Amino acid sequence: MFARSLTVNGAFSLENYQHLLETGRSWHLLTNSLALALATALISTLVGLPLGLLFAKTDLPLRRVFVLLFALPLVIPPYITAVSWVDTLAPHGLASRFFGEATAQVASRLLFGLPGCVLVLTTTFMPVVMLATITFVRTINPRLEEAARLSARPLRVLSGITVPLIWPGVLLAATLVFLLALGEFGVPTFLRYPVFAVESFTQFTISYNFGAATAAAVPLALLTFLILGIEWFALRERIRALRPARDDDTYLVPSRSYRVPLFALVSILCALVVMMPLLSLLVQAGSAQSYVHAFRVVNDSLMRSIFLAAVGATALTVLGFFVGYLIHTRALSIWRAVDAGTVLLFALPGTVIGMGLIALWNRPMTNFIYATPLIILFGYLAQYTALTGRVTVAGLGLVPASMEEAAASAGASWMRRLGLIVLPLVTHALITGWLIAYIFCLRDTGISMLVYPPGYDTLPVRIFTLMANGAPSLIAAACVLMIAATVLPLLGVAALMRTQRRRSWR
Amino acid sequence: MALIVFNSVCKAYSGQTALHDFSLSVEPGQRVAILGPSGCGKTTVLRLLAGFIAPDAGTISIDGQTVANNGEILQQPEQRHVGMMFQDLALWPHLTVAGNLEFGLRAQGISKAERTQRINEILELVEMDTYLHTRPAQLSGGQQQRVALARALVLQPKALLMDEPLSNLDEELNRRLRQELLRLHAQLGFTLLYVTHDRAEATEIGTNIVCMRQGRVERIASAKEFSTGQQADIHRYELE
Repeated sequence: MFARSLTVNGAFSLENYQHLLETGRSWHLLTNSLALALATALISTLVGLPLGLLFAKTDLPLRRVFVLLFALPLVIPPYITAVSWVDTLAPHGLASRFFGEATAQVASRLLFGLPGCVLVLTTTFMPVVMLATITFVRTINPRLEEAARLSARPLRVLSGITVPLIWPGVLLAATLVFLLALGEFGVPTFLRYPVFAVESFTQFTISYNFGAATAAAVPLALLTFLILGIEWFALRERIRALRPARDDDTYLVPSRSYRVPLFALVSILCALVVMMPLLSLLVQAGSAQSYVHAFRVVNDSLMRSIFLAAVGATALTVLGFFVGYLIHTRALSIWRAVDAGTVLLFALPGTVIGMGLIALWNRPMTNFIYATPLIILFGYLAQYTALTGRVTVAGLGLVPASMEEAAASAGASWMRRLGLIVLPLVTHALITGWLIAYIFCLRDTGISMLVYPPGYDTLPVRIFTLMANGAPSLIAAACVLMIAATVLPLLGVAALMRTQRRRSWR
Repeated sequence: MALIVFNSVCKAYSGQTALHDFSLSVEPGQRVAILGPSGCGKTTVLRLLAGFIAPDAGTISIDGQTVANNGEILQQPEQRHVGMMFQDLALWPHLTVAGNLEFGLRAQGISKAERTQRINEILELVEMDTYLHTRPAQLSGGQQQRVALARALVLQPKALLMDEPLSNLDEELNRRLRQELLRLHAQLGFTLLYVTHDRAEATEIGTNIVCMRQGRVERIASAKEFSTGQQADIHRYELE
């Protein structure tokens, strides 16, 4: 891809970069991209960290339900959240009903631009920080907090012991949010805020100027390299030091007299940033007829999306298992490169990976890949292996090394050890990995938008296309179908896992 | 007047009894070793006293004040003025030795000058005064034990609770630290509750030995009585 950005009409040229730097627009795009990514990462951390602590460390009622509700925007494509906010703040939307038309009008004006993009992306990516906080809090040895409780009040223990201990993990999550916001193109496109990801996408899809598009993507890739490099040197070893503690042993802070105000505060926040936009979609979609119509319009891409996401998630689980096993055991010297490579690919904007895939596979010899949905699956594997790999590493971290060693000393071959000992012990992690991969494949827009072969568009792509000229009720109904396609299988698998767990307890 | 009183305390975890009708009285300055096999409820006694868990029934008093009563915690851990040394030491890895000692003092609102003085004094006592700015991970096992002990003592607690703190050390280091603990006790005169499953450790450290089995007090004896009689019972613990 980089090589293609350095050629014009088949000859070496820096024209694409010259053009990018000369116009002065690049600096504007860079400033906008950084402002959006920084603001999103900062606000996501400021909101996600306290929420994570509240749900992981206190006895707040319904905290598990709140975790699921706040995490909901993460599983749906961000531009759908943007659509729901536009519907919410529309002249006759829910916001004007609750807060008056004047307030809704001001908010609606702010929505198109940086504040709106930050709002939508914060709603979408804040759960990353929240979930990371919950996860990392569980890695703390409860004795560390109890030792502090002997002399300090719970809030002081949180600020002096708990938060500093999980800080590397929280910073990692904030870095991830920064990178995800940096590479996001759907929301800025919809809310008309020019950033590098939009520029690159526009150059490619509208001007079909591959050289200029890749040149516009290079700053994004460089920023991603830089930030991951910093994260690698500053945080990686400190994050590795965080090891899961026993689940039944978590130290909880009783919320006591703060319980009611905290519950009210969290409920209001949840209603405002999660429930109201989703409700707006339902209101906008209106009658059942809209859903029937929407289903007729999108049913082929819906089925295709579910199929591709399921196949992609399965392939990712298998690949992620081997990648995770390699990283965990450090069996080959390339483990560090594999680890860094998968993380880098995950952090790169989907559009950049999409262009890379096109540059690599768009040849007569590989047309059987490029001209079929296989190219979308390749894109999923390229971008999301880090997810299933990381989940496998976490799962393997809970299995004592002696388990595999005992099998080895009993004479079992590597394959036998893997199949009969390691795999059954990490089944739970693999199912979790599959679910996460399914969500990310299903919501993927960046890669699918660029590489889908004619007639093989996925649902997020179809909705994105409909947004240009479709009726608002049709778009809203299609968005609700998209959310249902994501959430319903998740609920089904979660119920299945719960039943299996209960059976195993008996 | 007794400093610590457990009166008919019961505690169960998920229906499994950890302590049953447990009563104990500890005088100020006394060294009490709680001896028993794994799972007999020794650690639960310390956790109840520290205020990390509430008793299901019965009363716990410290220095004449009821701190927990029939399922209710009346005094939070930070109000009880007890120090604790954990089995895994629980030194805060992100803080230096000085930071580990200062955290509690600062939380208790002690002035900067007094904090510095107390930290220097206690580190000198445990012979760790040259490691003020070192992080726990850079210390040896024995040094970490001393820092954990200093952290518990710097708050000048009414009682020091020790949960098998020397169990992970080799025999030689274990012996040396036991002697140091006795020296510090002689110097500072704190009340000590020392949990162990090791008979030799119990008889060396405790002036009184509380033998526990299946959540009950089986026997309370002076160290002398304990080391001369009831050998058969003692061997039973070791086998389990």
